[in-house]
Amino acid sequence: MANIGFTAGIKRELRRLCSRPIYLFGMVLVPMITAIFFLALLDEGLPEHVPTGVVDLDHSSMSRSVTRSLKALQTISITEEAESYDKAMQMVREGSIYGFFVIPARFEKDAISGRGPTLEYYSNLTYFVPGTLAFKGFKTVAVTTAGGVVMQTLTSMGLSDASASEMVQPIVIDQFPIGNPWMNYGIYLCPSFSICTLALMIMLMTVMQVTSEIKNYTSPQWLSTCKGSISVAVTTKLLPATAIFFSMGLFILWLLFGYSHFPCHGSLWAMILSTLLLVIGCQSFGLFACCAVPNPRMAFIICALFGVLTFSFTGISFPVQSMYGWIGIFSWLSPFRYWLLTYFTIALNGAPVYFARLYMAGLLLFPIVPALLLPRLRKACLNPIYVP
Amino acid sequence: MSDTGRVFRNEMNIFLHDIGVLLFFFALPLMYPVIYTLIYNPETVRKMPVAVVDESRSAESRSFVQKASASPAIAIYAYCNDLQEARELMYENKVFGIMQIPSSYGKNIGRNDPAHVEFYADMTLLLRYRTFAAALTDLQLELISETTGERISASGLNSLAQNMSMIQSDSNFLGDTEQGFASFIMPGIVILILQQSMLLGIGMLGGTSAERRRRNNGFDPRQIHGVGVTATVWGKSLAYLVIYIPQIIYVLRIIPAMFNLPHYGSATDYFLFIVPMLLATAFLGQTLNAVIRDRESPFIIIVFTSVWFLFLSGLTWPRYAMSPIWKMLGDMIPAIWGVEGFIRINSNAATLHEVGTDFVALWVLSLVYMITACIVTRATMPYVCKRKWQESKA
Repeated sequence: MANIGFTAGIKRELRRLCSRPIYLFGMVLVPMITAIFFLALLDEGLPEHVPTGVVDLDHSSMSRSVTRSLKALQTISITEEAESYDKAMQMVREGSIYGFFVIPARFEKDAISGRGPTLEYYSNLTYFVPGTLAFKGFKTVAVTTAGGVVMQTLTSMGLSDASASEMVQPIVIDQFPIGNPWMNYGIYLCPSFSICTLALMIMLMTVMQVTSEIKNYTSPQWLSTCKGSISVAVTTKLLPATAIFFSMGLFILWLLFGYSHFPCHGSLWAMILSTLLLVIGCQSFGLFACCAVPNPRMAFIICALFGVLTFSFTGISFPVQSMYGWIGIFSWLSPFRYWLLTYFTIALNGAPVYFARLYMAGLLLFPIVPALLLPRLRKACLNPIYVP
Repeated sequence: MSDTGRVFRNEMNIFLHDIGVLLFFFALPLMYPVIYTLIYNPETVRKMPVAVVDESRSAESRSFVQKASASPAIAIYAYCNDLQEARELMYENKVFGIMQIPSSYGKNIGRNDPAHVEFYADMTLLLRYRTFAAALTDLQLELISETTGERISASGLNSLAQNMSMIQSDSNFLGDTEQGFASFIMPGIVILILQQSMLLGIGMLGGTSAERRRRNNGFDPRQIHGVGVTATVWGKSLAYLVIYIPQIIYVLRIIPAMFNLPHYGSATDYFLFIVPMLLATAFLGQTLNAVIRDRESPFIIIVFTSVWFLFLSGLTWPRYAMSPIWKMLGDMIPAIWGVEGFIRINSNAATLHEVGTDFVALWVLSLVYMITACIVTRATMPYVCKRKWQESKA
């Protein structure tokens, strides 16, 4: 009969997907807009020109020259000149500056006579990124000011400029950040967060697709359209979604590596394959939640909880190696971790595909778990019970 | 009993018997701060494996590597014969940095020529790079002061070495003084958790109510009808606010104490500060009920916004560096102002007066969302209006 079988199952699912706007919202709009949102927000790369202040208690020509050096930096922008430490601290608490530099009284006199005055600088690490940028800027000026005075003294004693500078800086450690030499925050955060949001939505939408059948008591009809076979039923249900999610994944990859020219030093095909495997892995996880607990609310809670925590424990910002051991183990349960490691290895570090083989193999293991639990889902589908 | 009071009591009755909503209102704020803090509690990154390519093999280069391994950030994983071998270790994610000492290192130190060391840092995580950068700068300064001291006395400028004190510089950190990751991110995340859990709970209540309306010809039998829109909206919001009192105490006071997070503000300041934020959230939740049509929709519609709000809040990306569109979008979300104000009260010991802008903004948002909540309630549940209810009875 025409309305039973594999094709019939696919057609039925496509009709369902078009019947409610929430499917379009969750499958297409959210991943698309999130990727565009992150790219637009982090467009500048580094939030330079951190608003900072300077407290000049000396008012001498040397202190003014230090202030000029501070103003010349690109990382910070001196927006306030406070009269006292207390006034500057109040500005920090009010949020108008993210740090301030203090030039003590009698600075020039003490520096010239070799009494070793202290330049103090305060960086507000409550805001991590501007705080550390302010710290870097202040430290550069403090160290070069100190070095400059030593050089002045040495050259006045008769040393040449070259010899004096060797005395002041005999050893230099050149740092080369590879993969993201611009230290661009966009490159660091956009790919991980966009794809992790896609992973989250895949898990949630998979749960919605399966459990809405149980909730509306249409699951027996779903099974009968697929000749009573749960594996055919699940495949016909998830295959259209795989196509949609994979297209969204391709769109995001294009946005990142094509439109925004983010670095992909390795094989792009490997990244595309890894994204396809991620889609299948996340759908498998969502399906597993439905098989384990065929109740809509509980399955959603499992996927939402795990999906949101995935942003944290998979090591997007804080390395897994530095977490407690037993928490680090959870990261291996998330399909996203394997995609992330593939991205790090292939796209950022430019390694050959060989080095990502284990991660891709890991993703292939994910569909196995729900496949084993399908009989449980079949039982729940034949006798749907909805517990709100 | 007044109308608002009746709605208050009815709403409490509804959600205290709804396990799904209770999970959002109680279990979420209880569990998430603990889980997050456990994840980030190691706070800093230590002893990252580094590969060394020592082409100089002199006493000076060995001394350099020895000093480098003494740094808390660096652990020497392997000595490699060449850069290619080291690069393969990096591809396998076994090392996160490569230190290359050129063959001329020892000679240059002896000849008073500038000696360079190259360090290649893996940029997959900026936290690692930043820790390396700080450790290498400290290492460089330590070596410089040692070598400069030796060179100055070797050139016979002893008087210089004795009489001159270099200008000192003293760095002070405010707020997150240990530069720890949890200490920085937890104060912001707890505020976001309060907002999101409330939005999810209210969304689930709204969705369930919408399902009941569909089953009963547009009429939800569990709501109190004919009391007026304002009483309905206020009664519900007060119910949500009151039920959140234990969560506020737990999240804002107990969690920082439990995990040794920075906690300097005065309790009066931040408890008073949080009231308009939760009120605005309650109104916002009721406004969102316009688009929530069933019980499980909040999972799809609200959960992903946590990530957006984390970025818009200015915690990970500062607000001064956002373009006007994103700033405007952020201005409409209560948690954005909540995070800004709370982290300054909590970590910088700001007073309520000093976070005045954020406090006023929250009250303005409460007003705006109260109006929208009333509009939405009237549109979705017309029978709460006195007139419609009386007309339908007549």
